[in-house]
Amino acid sequence: MKPVSIKNIFFLILTASLIAVVIMAMPSCKASQAVASKSGAQLWAENCQRCHNTPSPSTFSPEKWETVGMHMQTRALLTDNERDKIVEFLKQ
Amino acid sequence: MKHNKIFTSALLIISMLGLGMHDAQAQQTVVDSSLLDRVSDLEQQVHYNKPGDDHFMVVGLATLGFVSSKTTNTVGGESTVTKSNSFPDADNFEVSPMFLWRHEKSFLVEFEPSFNADGLTVNWGEVSWFAAPGLIVRGGYLVLPFGTYSKREAAGWIDKLATDPMGVADMAPTDFGLEVEGGLPMGNMKMSYDVAVSNGNQLLPDGTLTSGNFTDNNNNKTVTARVALLPFSNSSLELGASGMFGKVGDIGTGWQNKMSESYAFDLNYVHTFSPLLVNIKSQYNIQNIDKASYINPADSSSYTFTNHTTAYFAQASIRPVNADGFIKNVELAGRYTEFNTPANSTFGADQHTVTVGLDYWINWRTVFKVTYEAYRSKSTASESLGANTGTTSINSLYVHFAIQL
Repeated sequence: MKPVSIKNIFFLILTASLIAVVIMAMPSCKASQAVASKSGAQLWAENCQRCHNTPSPSTFSPEKWETVGMHMQTRALLTDNERDKIVEFLKQ
Repeated sequence: MKHNKIFTSALLIISMLGLGMHDAQAQQTVVDSSLLDRVSDLEQQVHYNKPGDDHFMVVGLATLGFVSSKTTNTVGGESTVTKSNSFPDADNFEVSPMFLWRHEKSFLVEFEPSFNADGLTVNWGEVSWFAAPGLIVRGGYLVLPFGTYSKREAAGWIDKLATDPMGVADMAPTDFGLEVEGGLPMGNMKMSYDVAVSNGNQLLPDGTLTSGNFTDNNNNKTVTARVALLPFSNSSLELGASGMFGKVGDIGTGWQNKMSESYAFDLNYVHTFSPLLVNIKSQYNIQNIDKASYINPADSSSYTFTNHTTAYFAQASIRPVNADGFIKNVELAGRYTEFNTPANSTFGADQHTVTVGLDYWINWRTVFKVTYEAYRSKSTASESLGANTGTTSINSLYVHFAIQL
């Protein structure tokens, strides 16, 4: 039987720790009051720039922002609340 | 005279009638116009909410430029120098339209073909089902969730530098499979998960891997997963860990039980310390493939080696976003990359690059880049396999234009 390497043990411990954090955090899997009250403009400024420059709202029509928002959610793994608020801001 | 009076009166009456009709028509036109606008708005809203109607758009990107290089190869103490320059910088040229189809807010189809140095290829083609809050189910030809560079940072209009970090993108394949992903709030923090099951990589006769086979080369599926934590409420810092595990040998061969295990750790930090926007990105990849026996291309004897590969980069950029004038559109970036491939193979080398660049952002998605890259490589390949040995240095200057469409 192949011996388990130190790297494998390290990664297993890391993964188990992350899973434990997630499981412990699941009951509180909701945003805090401060985060939940953020405006679409604030979420747009904070999240879009994680990868690229913040997009100008005048770039696309409201309908196209809905499509772009879904595409961005699959890439940046935004929460549903973040996506909805950012798209509503961009559609204004 | 009397006839003239009658005639004049008649003319006057007809004129008044005409004016009245014109007024009525003008008013009716005004009424119709506003009514038509209102009807048009209502039609748009109805169209917007009909699932069967096409919500289709084309975006995409184009990256093109020029590269000038000086290459020095040194073998056995003797050096040869070659110079080259060319449009469009083949390694980084691409024109890639992306087609997006949306049905309501539940389904999204994404397809991105690409014209690049490999000819006509496909970057991805997938269907996403937004099944529930925090749950997106996807299927198709997927960019696997190994690190973040390939999925988020590689596009020419996003990357701060003209070149990709060596090895990092290559170790995150695109493959056929299924994926579940989502972002979840956790108080002031946020976490994300991304898990994919796919056909997996295929081990090639020289010990490298390829991916994206329509037909799986074995009955084992590869699992790729990434979890990430954004510990700050402003989402400025993201820390991720990824793993990719699966058999890579062809079924029915001596390699059929050979495993590949890969890990990646990524960091992304973006924050404005007025007036500067500071952007830090880093990723560290490790790949281990079980020891296997290969055929020496020089004499058909068998050989083996420890198939261990590492690739990592650390990149930082600054941009004075709160300054006045054109300077706020200027961004300075630098990156260090290392890519070490297995010693005693046909392709083994210890490689590193130092890359610096200056960008001018014409708008949020259009950029002009000047990038200088110094590449250094020392071969660790085996001479007995007929491999190139010695050292290589390449100094290159890139001038690029990239736009998101």
